[in-house]
Amino acid sequence: MFYRLAGVYHTSYAADRTILKVSADRWQVLFLVGLALAAPLFVSRLYLSGYLLPWLIWSMAALGLNLLVGWAGQVHLGYAAVMAIGAYGTIHIVRAGVPFEAAIIAGGVLAAAIGLVFGFASLRVKGLYLAVSTLAMQYVVDWTINHVPAISGGSQATLQAPGFRFFGIPIDDDVKRYYLALFACLAVAIFLLNARRTAFGRALAAVREKDYAAAVLGVNTFYFKLMAFWVSSLLGGMAGALLAFCYYRAVTPEQFSLDVSIQLLAMAIVGGLASVIGSFLGAALVFFAPIVLNNAVGSVAGSLGVQVSGELRSHIPLILYGGLIVGFLLFEPLGLAKIWDNIRNYFLVWPFRHARHS
Amino acid sequence: MVGFARLSAFAALSLLAAGSALAQTKPIKVGAALDFTKVYTFLTAEYSQGQRDYVSLLNARGGINGTPVELETVDTGNEPQRGIEAYERFKNEGAVLTDFLSTPVSRAIVPRALADGMNVITAFHGRSDAADGTVFPTIFPMTPAYWSQATAIVKYIGDKEGNNLKGKKIVLVHIDSPFGKEPIPVFQKLAEQLGYAFSDIGYPSPGNEQSAQWTQVRRDRPDWVVLWGAGGGQPNSVREALRNGISPNKIVSVIWLSETDMGIVGPEQAKGISRFEGVASGKDVPVIKAIETEVIAKGKGAGDAAKVGSSYYNIGIATMALFGEGARLALEKEGAPLTPAKLKKGLESIKGFTADGLLPPVTITSEDHQGGGQGRIATWDGKAWKPDSGWYAAYQDVVWDLVKKTAADFKASGK
Repeated sequence: MFYRLAGVYHTSYAADRTILKVSADRWQVLFLVGLALAAPLFVSRLYLSGYLLPWLIWSMAALGLNLLVGWAGQVHLGYAAVMAIGAYGTIHIVRAGVPFEAAIIAGGVLAAAIGLVFGFASLRVKGLYLAVSTLAMQYVVDWTINHVPAISGGSQATLQAPGFRFFGIPIDDDVKRYYLALFACLAVAIFLLNARRTAFGRALAAVREKDYAAAVLGVNTFYFKLMAFWVSSLLGGMAGALLAFCYYRAVTPEQFSLDVSIQLLAMAIVGGLASVIGSFLGAALVFFAPIVLNNAVGSVAGSLGVQVSGELRSHIPLILYGGLIVGFLLFEPLGLAKIWDNIRNYFLVWPFRHARHS
Repeated sequence: MVGFARLSAFAALSLLAAGSALAQTKPIKVGAALDFTKVYTFLTAEYSQGQRDYVSLLNARGGINGTPVELETVDTGNEPQRGIEAYERFKNEGAVLTDFLSTPVSRAIVPRALADGMNVITAFHGRSDAADGTVFPTIFPMTPAYWSQATAIVKYIGDKEGNNLKGKKIVLVHIDSPFGKEPIPVFQKLAEQLGYAFSDIGYPSPGNEQSAQWTQVRRDRPDWVVLWGAGGGQPNSVREALRNGISPNKIVSVIWLSETDMGIVGPEQAKGISRFEGVASGKDVPVIKAIETEVIAKGKGAGDAAKVGSSYYNIGIATMALFGEGARLALEKEGAPLTPAKLKKGLESIKGFTADGLLPPVTITSEDHQGGGQGRIATWDGKAWKPDSGWYAAYQDVVWDLVKKTAADFKASGK
């Protein structure tokens, strides 16, 4: 009823290949994009720059990681290091006088090049072994940034992001930063939605399911594994640069620590592997849940007048957060994207009960 | 969903109730987003307890010039994104001062705070060059920067050696992070001036494993060892130093060595070890006594009463005492309501403030946000930290050369 399938005919190949086949989906996406475009009009600065902006950038990073982990099936435990290379690279290139548009691409390429080197490990090892090899990348990059003052920015180990222009527009307030992040995030989302139905996307899926089988089918696994690392690191590097320029505005090594890598992996897994909407939902859960739980526990404790020690008060949200992640994965091991899909399937045939996947 | 609706209705009701109670005088709002759960756990609980107890004392005495103070404390888990969220919320709620007590978080806040004109306390952490108030107008360390701690330690060693450091060997054993490496230029500069031999050895973060580094220290046969770390690595450093036969009387640490750390090492074994302090420790200070009678005795204490008077508790008190003094001056001069800009002026007119002996005389100007850089060395006597001398500041010219240089670099990097 809500997702009316009656009257949806695919009379041409083009119609059959559209990303969103059901008009209700199209309307929803258009509505959400419209909402996102109009957000600065009705969202206060607190929510715009404290919630929406970082959510978009984290989603973009989660999408990049999801390409590697979800689409190509290669685990990466050092994705924050990839973002760090992009962030530091872009800042140094902008400070050298290169315009931001070129610098962010150069920073992305730099991250991709270094990410590719560690991607070579994936040719020999899989699964947990690959996780440990990419973990090495995290440590090597952390160590290098910490020990080369020319990269980290001297004894204080902080680099400020210089002021910059994007195609002639000075990006100097939160609204412009938000639009830049929205633009980048939408571009990456559209790229991934499209990548899924290209030869590239199908080859990645084949490699993910079984690389020997893919090789037998004539898929060059050597090439596609490295391509997955290359593209994913490129997106990660650019997301890192946006994080540095639009959100943190100053970078320090701790902002890209192992914890962040694990959070990113959690975004991809809890959100749903190989899912675009899952990356957004996963980023929202991992990013918002600690903040919202913390504020909720704080206001409940405050208004009940309960004497809770500060330490306990700050650990309760952690317990709830852990429970939330375990709970979601127990409830639906395929992630938040699957929950969303189940809801959609339910409404597809509502008020009848049996849903057919579409 | 029902749960959420109930929760929000509940929150709205409680907000209404709170709003009517406070309608008479709008409180001065201070936001503290601290790390209770990840890296800074070794100090945050005591620090925050001190802050909240001092604010309770202020309010029990009728607030600052009649205006109550509201201190909001939340956890950031040392994550910059949560710190930024808290910062934006505090700003939205009209806070005049914020505190993050985490180097990565406060570094991410600095560009925002400078752009928004929001005051940030960075007591004993954060950028050393924030001492330069002309480049960092709203960042207030108000306490000796790490570089000043290093100079104070060298001065102490010099005094012990009869003001002649020629040919002496000082080894800095530090955590291998930007924080651990920060004092190196100061030690090198003073080595040129005073003629001692200086070397540094870094152990990997977080410092659970240091045995290889300490055998190297032992081979060097240093006259003095300076410890530069924080948290769990510190008692480990002390233990390894003692195990390698270094006399406790020849060990001096940065400020982060507490009663708890000494308890881990063994209070008797650690006798004789010294550390820098910028705030008096112990309960023998009028402010702490006032808190004991006016706050804790009335059951309004924010935490474990046994922690009252510990080093980090007193640092928490010091931050709020400095804020209180700045706010008082601001309200007297500029009148209510207090704004971030007024508080900045108030803090910058603090002159010779000691919080009744808790602090060295602190004088903050619009150029000097460090407050003079005075501190002292205290020695562990088996039960408590006993000050070795009065308050002093040493080689501030060396410190300020570095401050000016890195602050200029910072300014240039933002362009």
